[in-house]
Formats: sequence, C-alpha cells, structure tokens
Amino acid sequence: MTLRELYQNIGADYDQALRVLRVEKLVDKHIRKFVNNGVVSQLLEAGAQMESARMFEAAHAAKGVCGNLGLTALSDMASQLAEEYRPGNARHMSDEDVKAVLQRIETVHDAMAEGIRQYIEG
Amino acid sequence: MINSKQIQRPKLVLVVDDQEINRDALGVILEDDYEIICASDGSEALKEIQAHVDNLSIVLLDLMMPVMNGFEVLERMAGDDRMKHIPVIVLTADKSAELRALQMGAADFITKPFDVPEVIIARVARIIELSEGRQLISAAEHDPVTLLYSRNFFFEYANRLHHYSPELHLDAVVLDIEQFHTINAVNGRDFGDDVLRVVGAEIRDFLSETEGIACRFEADRFEIYCVPQPDYQALLERFQRRVGRISPNVSIHLRMGVNPWQEGVEPVLMFDRARAASTMVRGNYQSPLMIYDEDMRMRELRDRRFLNELRSAIQTRQLRVFYQPKYDIQCDPPRLSSAEALIRWQHPELGMISPGDFLPLFEGNGLIGVVDNYVWQVAAAQIAEWRKKYGVKLPVSVNLSRNDVFDPTLIDRLVRIIEDNGLDYSDMKMEVTESAYTEKANDLLQVVNRLRQLGFEIEMDDFGSGYSSLNMLSYMPIDVLKMDMKFVRNIESSETDLRLVKLILDIAKYLKLRVVAEGVETEGQLALLKDSGCDLVQGFYFSRPLPPESFEKLIERELEIERG
Repeated sequence: MTLRELYQNIGADYDQALRVLRVEKLVDKHIRKFVNNGVVSQLLEAGAQMESARMFEAAHAAKGVCGNLGLTALSDMASQLAEEYRPGNARHMSDEDVKAVLQRIETVHDAMAEGIRQYIEG
Repeated sequence: MINSKQIQRPKLVLVVDDQEINRDALGVILEDDYEIICASDGSEALKEIQAHVDNLSIVLLDLMMPVMNGFEVLERMAGDDRMKHIPVIVLTADKSAELRALQMGAADFITKPFDVPEVIIARVARIIELSEGRQLISAAEHDPVTLLYSRNFFFEYANRLHHYSPELHLDAVVLDIEQFHTINAVNGRDFGDDVLRVVGAEIRDFLSETEGIACRFEADRFEIYCVPQPDYQALLERFQRRVGRISPNVSIHLRMGVNPWQEGVEPVLMFDRARAASTMVRGNYQSPLMIYDEDMRMRELRDRRFLNELRSAIQTRQLRVFYQPKYDIQCDPPRLSSAEALIRWQHPELGMISPGDFLPLFEGNGLIGVVDNYVWQVAAAQIAEWRKKYGVKLPVSVNLSRNDVFDPTLIDRLVRIIEDNGLDYSDMKMEVTESAYTEKANDLLQVVNRLRQLGFEIEMDDFGSGYSSLNMLSYMPIDVLKMDMKFVRNIESSETDLRLVKLILDIAKYLKLRVVAEGVETEGQLALLKDSGCDLVQGFYFSRPLPPESFEKLIERELEIERG
C-alpha cells in the first residue's frame, strides 16, 4: 500500500498533508506516529470528564495535529469542539450533541488508526 | 566579490511547539534558509533563548503548550533586557489569541495549520529583516562608548526639536577635553575611553535632571542641546569635578563653549558657534568657559569676509607691501642697511586693517601661503626696481611661514622669483618666527638648510618671545637673530633688561650671528644698543613701515649722505 493509497483508504487529504509537511518522508513519519499520538485520546478523556478548559485545549491541539496531517474529518470535528469550548464563547451545543461528536471522533479515529496500522504492517 | 549574504550572520530560528509534527512542518519549510533549533514547551524555550540570546534571529512560538504556555514566554521575554529585542512570531489556530499576543510584544502571527509555506517563509524573512534593521539603527543611534547619541542622529533630533518644539529655546553647549590625544597617548586608549565614559555618564545624569539631548560629536567633543541653564560656569565645574575624580595621577581639564538660544538660528549654526567659542578658550585652564556673544559673531563675520576677499584684495592691490628700514648703528651716522617687507590691507570699506587682525586668521587656515607668495613677488620686483633706479643693493626680509615649509613647490617658486627678477639670493632674506622652530623642527630644518645652501640668509624673528632655549641657537641654521621688541622696551629703566640684551648680544657674537633689535623708539635705547655692540636696529626711532614711494625718500637721503 502506498501512502497515497492509505490516505484514500482512510478518507484523508494527502495533498493537504504534503502541502504542510512538504516531503513524503515527513508525512510518512507523522502518519505512523499518529497511532500513538495522544491528542485524540486526550480529547476523548477530557470529553469523558466534560471539563471545559481541558476540552478546549485538547480540541485545539487535535485540530492542529489532524489538520497538518490532512486528517480533515477529525480536524473539522475537533475545530467544532474547540469553538464550542473556547473561553468566552457562548455554548451552542447540548452536552448530548458534544458527546455525539466525541463518539464520531472516536469512531473515525479508530478507523483511521486501523488503516494506518495496516499500512505500517505493510 | 563579497556578496551581501556573506556579511550576514547565519540566522538561527527557534521553533517552539509541543507537537512534533508542527515543529517538523515548520522545520522543513524553513530549513533551506535558516538553522533551526526546537523546544517543546515554554520553559524549554526560555532555556534555549537564554543559551542563544546573542545570535537568535527569531522565535516561532506556539501559544498553547503544557508546562509553560506561549503567553508566559512572551511575558518573560518582554521583561528581560537581553531577550526583549528578539522578535517573536506566534503560531496559532486561534484568532482571539492573535491580538493578545501582538499586544504582548509578538511581531506577527502564523495561523495553523501551516498550509501556505511561501507565506510563512515570507513572514519570517520580513520580521527578521525588520528586527535587524531596527537593531542596526539602534546601534547607529548611540555612541557605544558614552551611550549618548551619535552625531547624525543627534543633529536630526536637534533639528526636530528646533522645528517642532521652538518654545523650548534650547542652548547649544560644547564640551571639550583638553589635550585628549595626549591623555590617550600617555595613559592608553582604555584610560581615554574611561574618561569618555565618565563624561558621557555625567552628561546623562545632567540630562535626567533637565530637558535636552546630547551626543559625542567626535573623539573628545561632546555637544548638548538643552534648555537654558542658569549658570554655565557651575555646570562646567560640575563636569570638571567629576573628571577630576577619575585618577589622582592624571589631570584632565574640560572647556566649554555655549551659544545661547537665538530666534531662528538652526542647531547646526548654533553648534558651529558654540564650537568656535570653545576653541577660543583652548588651553586656557584659568578661564575655560566661553559664551558666544555679539562680539564673537562680528569677529566671525569679519573673518569670513577676510577669507572670502583675500584673493580679490591681492588682485586689486588692496594688499600692499610696506617697508620698514633697518639701520646699521655701528656707523656714524647710522646707515640704511636693509628693510623688512610688511603687509598692509587698505580695505575700500574698512580702511586700513591691522595685520594682527588678518595674519593669524590666514595662518590658521593655510591661506598665509597665498599672502607670503604675494609679498615675495612684490618685494622681489621692488628690490629689482630700486637696484635699477638707484643702483643700490638693498636686501629685503620677507616672512616664511610654517605652512610654506610644507609646500613641496616652495623652493622652486622662490628660485623662480629670484631668477625672474634678476636678483641674487642674498637680496632677499627669509624670516622664520622663533615659534616655528619648536614644533616639527626637523621638516623646517631641512627646508631652511636647503634655502641657505641656495644663498638665502635666514633670520630668526621674534627671538625671545616664546619658548626659545639658548641651546636651540647652537643647532638652528640661522644667520641673524631678531631680538623681540619686549627686550628693548625697558632697557633705559631696567638694569636687568639691559643685562639680558647684552647677554643675548654676547651669545650671538659668540655664535657669529648678527642681531637686529626690534622696536627701537628712543635715542636712549639706540645709544645703549650701540654701546652694547648691536649691529642693526629697526623701529619707529628711524621710521615706521612706509609705502615704497615714501621709502624711496630714505634711499635718496642715504645716497645724498654718500655723496657727501
């Protein structure tokens, strides 16, 4: 499986990742590391506690990392949560809606992680 | 050829982000143009900044990080003198954080994710360029030794004050260190720099108590543009006290020139005048303060006029050569022996100008050579004319200034003047003032020796007026001593002065030098000089300096005596 095929398989934007990281080697390095990168799991943990400040920080970090890697679906959802919990912003979503987004994040993340693992195992 | 890149220092960029992917993403964008170091949180970042504080070109700083966030880093940097000059670009996905970061001193921001690398490269380059430019300007703005403004910035700021805050009525003050080059030479440059630092510090202290700005104008000259001070003498004494404490072994003296505010006078001119005032008290340790006043302004205007008009004055013969006779007093009656050529300026508007008013001016700026050359030409033509008209040999003494000595064309010019007028070298005598022998004597000796070899006689003028040592007479190539008039003045009333004159005459005789006594005004003086063995006398007793047509009467009278 090529890197581009991986991106197709997991529904991510390879060109975006390459725009940011410039060389395929770096995209490869960071997509492999993404499996163990804690940003998404930290967001899910914060979500379980429903702590606003931690939710914002974690969503913010996840948005950045996923955005850079072209994991657009994840970064869009993280961005939605970051805005929801940004200090000073009024809440628009109910806790149930938030939990639903978190659930979707987990599902998408797990699917992507599975795809990446297959890529790593070759 | 050296290109501009070679004189740039290598640029070091610190990337601070807790996410490795972000560090890598920026690193890969910037690594072609910069050396990259990384930190993964704020406290690590501060350590890196401290370690590279002198050569860090920029910090790219993530705002949201564990341990210590970016805002805290910004705050710490702003509070640190060495770190606050390093520009920071914040990395953020968060619009609301941008404003806060900019308010805290960030120079710019880059939004995450980093999707247009060219924008990042351009922003980083621009901020580094701006920052380096600012640092260069800041370095050029101040003199590194005294921390006062440098000259160009000072005058720019002085002009702004003059134009935009005219109500301040600022005075121009110039402060000089006497003999600074000697202080440097004797005590070393480091000591000299210490002196400059102390003066700079005292000026800064002074300015913290009043309104004004200051610079180090050049080596040892300070210029202060400040609101009028009630007592400049006290101000100078304050500075003097401070430098007086620098070393018990070195005495350092300051002098000050002040040009008080005047309506409409630009700073450049005010400082020219303050400088002129300070220069007037150079070496005057008793009274080292000079306030520029109307007299000085008039003198300056007059000096400038003299300088401008010199050449046309020569062309239109306003400058005239007068002749004062010298008499051989060992004959009876005394006989006309020779003459001294003296310059006079008959100005169409100012009347007769005393040589004392313009010769020192021309000596100071080198134009004296023009005057001397003119006198040589006129005097040579006059000698030739008298020889032709009366058949007499009447040598004329002319002045040779220190400046002439350094002109490589001197000898050629003098030879041509002698030859063009069909004269002998013995027809024109060269007078060199005693003081000329005391500085850079070697150059002078060479030229004077060459002139003597040609056949010119050399007279030492004003002997005894300055720092002559008797020892000097033994090795100076001279033929005639012209004894300064102050020796003669009191010989009738002062036994001591008479003895001194006799002593000089004895020494001259021993050294086989002839002596001309200057300033002889009375019969009594003449008799004493004659008895003491003086050969030649010049002074009002015989005649004041005369225009050539009047001098001819003396020649004619002489010829009548000869004919009996």
